[in-house]
Amino acid sequence: VSVRSVSPPPSLPRARAAAGLALLIAITLAVPFAIPLVNRWRGEKPLPPTYLPALEGPRERGRFADVRITELRGLQPGYVVIGDSMAGTRIDERRLSELTGVSVAPLLQAGSGPAFWYLALKNWVIASGIQPRMVFVFFRDTNLTDVMFRLDEQFRWSLDLVANDTESELNAVVATRVGMLQRVHRFLDDHVGVERARLAAEPAVTMWPAELMMTSRRRRTDFLHALNARLGFDHLRRMQAADIQVTEAPGADFHEDVDRSVLPLMLRDAKAAGLTLCFVRVQRRPTANRPPPQSASLKAYVKDLREYVTARGALFHDDTGDPALTIDMYEDGDHLARHARRRYTENLYNRLRSHFQ
Amino acid sequence: VIFHSLDFVVFFVAVVALYWSLPQRAQNILLLAASYFFYGYVHPWFLILIAASTFVDYGAARGMEMWPQHRRRFLWLSIVSNFGMLGFFKYFNFFAENVAAALAAVGLTVSEPTLRILLPVGISFYTFQAMSYTIDVYRGELHARRSLLDLAVFISFFPHLVAGPIQRASYLLPQVESTRRFSPERARSGFVLICWGFFKKLVIADNVGVIANKVFALGDPTFYILWAGVFAFAMQIYADFSAYTDIARGTSRWLGFELTENFDHPYMARSPADFWRRWNISLSSWFRDYVYIPLGGSRRGTRVWIKNVLVTFLLSGFWHGASWNYLLWGFYHGVLLVVTRGRATTSHGPWPSHAWLVVPQIAGMFVLTCIGWLLFRETELSAIVRDVQLSPFGVSEVDRQTGLYLFLLSAIYSLPLWVQSIWVELGRSAPADDAIASPSWSWPRLALQGIACGIALTAVLVFRSRTSLDFIYFQF
Repeated sequence: VSVRSVSPPPSLPRARAAAGLALLIAITLAVPFAIPLVNRWRGEKPLPPTYLPALEGPRERGRFADVRITELRGLQPGYVVIGDSMAGTRIDERRLSELTGVSVAPLLQAGSGPAFWYLALKNWVIASGIQPRMVFVFFRDTNLTDVMFRLDEQFRWSLDLVANDTESELNAVVATRVGMLQRVHRFLDDHVGVERARLAAEPAVTMWPAELMMTSRRRRTDFLHALNARLGFDHLRRMQAADIQVTEAPGADFHEDVDRSVLPLMLRDAKAAGLTLCFVRVQRRPTANRPPPQSASLKAYVKDLREYVTARGALFHDDTGDPALTIDMYEDGDHLARHARRRYTENLYNRLRSHFQ
Repeated sequence: VIFHSLDFVVFFVAVVALYWSLPQRAQNILLLAASYFFYGYVHPWFLILIAASTFVDYGAARGMEMWPQHRRRFLWLSIVSNFGMLGFFKYFNFFAENVAAALAAVGLTVSEPTLRILLPVGISFYTFQAMSYTIDVYRGELHARRSLLDLAVFISFFPHLVAGPIQRASYLLPQVESTRRFSPERARSGFVLICWGFFKKLVIADNVGVIANKVFALGDPTFYILWAGVFAFAMQIYADFSAYTDIARGTSRWLGFELTENFDHPYMARSPADFWRRWNISLSSWFRDYVYIPLGGSRRGTRVWIKNVLVTFLLSGFWHGASWNYLLWGFYHGVLLVVTRGRATTSHGPWPSHAWLVVPQIAGMFVLTCIGWLLFRETELSAIVRDVQLSPFGVSEVDRQTGLYLFLLSAIYSLPLWVQSIWVELGRSAPADDAIASPSWSWPRLALQGIACGIALTAVLVFRSRTSLDFIYFQF
């Protein structure tokens, strides 16, 4: 095995070499500014502004799911459940409906975070004008006050389902959390049109192999649907399907975080609409049939959170440490098995029986 | 701090700006402070380990010179402390799990003690680098350094701290100790390497990595899908690891250092021996010099040679991680080398008289390498057994098309790597990375380099994956 190194370059007059270096860097940084020219040459329309300008540049958004409002008005549920797969793998809405004698509406989105939950409450539940007895919001650890949780590109798309074209309050909260990286993204979107170029380039690359393989557009479309299904959730290994994302922000301090979160907005809007919120902190996967270990800072955070929401008229329920929630109920990660949903729902009903009645 | 973050860009610009305004000794103090900041940015307790390793190896080397009659003891002190640290953090859980499983197999149930702490990143790299220093001092090939600062900079030098390339003390320490002068030409070639590195990481590795991750997350892969995923992983691991090396070498040049090469277009290898001359060169040469040759190399007959090769490759596999699949991967490559009897089809010499053999040789070696990557990527032994039993026959139309699609998509993303490797291989007169970062100078060439770097930057902005993945070798 040879360990070779590059021999030192022949030396140039220093000033000339420095000018060369400066020129190289200048050209490198200048080239991306050709992107807007390419965008213009492609003759595409300017993109509409986003509802989260603090975080992203103009982009084509998905449709707002107003069908949910119609459904809620039709159902007139007694209870509404908002959350991600933590709620989805726990609540058996039929059983809860049997126990309470009223209908239950689950508003669940896998891979969602507090921004989605807030908008679901505001733009679906409150906008529908329904008056459920209680709105449950399921969360893990410090998620509730971490507005950036699942706001990255991978997960952000689902917000389109619940967002209006302007969400100034959510945007203001997000703006308090936006880091340097997002600011640079914004700059590049505004001045270089990166997102527009990405929106054109990504499908072109991913479609290319399909175009090589089959000429018919219809066959390509069918194939890509089949491919997505083949690589989808139903075919994953169990632990790969698990939602085991870290949900405790390191060093989270409730009092520092709460005013930079959507929690005050949720409490305010619910109160104004005459709704009672119940925040349910789910228990993460137990360790050897013991509740999962919690750091001292997490315990302090949860204590402060409980005091905060109850002082503002909401309910707070913590599953953590509940002896009824044993390891055999868990399937993968923090998800519960299908067979455990009924048991979990009955347990939750029993724990909160006084509030259900 | 990770390379592909804005934090690193800010950190690096600040360090470089300050660095060149300081005299040599102050530069080293700054480098040490910057390296420790870089390493302890997220988990400050990692610094305790690297500082401990530095103190022990400094003391051990000094002890060898002061008390030569006890130098073997000092060497053992260094080896035991470095391997002890590595073993505790990296291999404790593996041994605990396997001992518990073995006891359970004979009917004894024990409560399995598990170390619930993070593996400190880069620990495998810097402990090996530190040990190379004490071993070289022990062998009399290097004299023990009086300056703790210089040694600490050598061990913790931030550009290559987390994922190599592992540098020999005899190569890097003299650079730490010498006066350095900013060279715009060197910085220019470093800049080009950095741009190429970011392109490889963010455009190639992260995009094909998503494909590989999708495939290896499947519970029911079929033949074509699996091997498309293996191909994607082969491209990912090369693009990812060589990107780290390029960025490390590029940033080092801005600080006046030169790091050794770590890759030499490994997928152009024509035999297992050739592959190991081109892949992770710094690690394979470490194992050659500190394990294989001390064991006797090929000097004591065929049997001992076979044993030495297998031991060296098993250890190399185990270095990658505390898991059976890495051992299997190391063993596989050892066997490949033994079976081909280590015949070196040299990569740098003239092409063989049977030129038509070159392409089949390269293709054959690539297929063998991919089989190795399957063992490397697939962490569950039961899944490996299932994977090698998959048949290309009786696969559904959708699965065949899916496999072909994933293969073509990986090939499109990795095309620049293939083009570069073939280009370099066809004109083997210059060192590998000169094709990318040539120091030769002319205004048109400079403009072309600038445009190439600009295109790389544009590609990073437009084609980077929406899923950002860590550098693979961080986990080792």
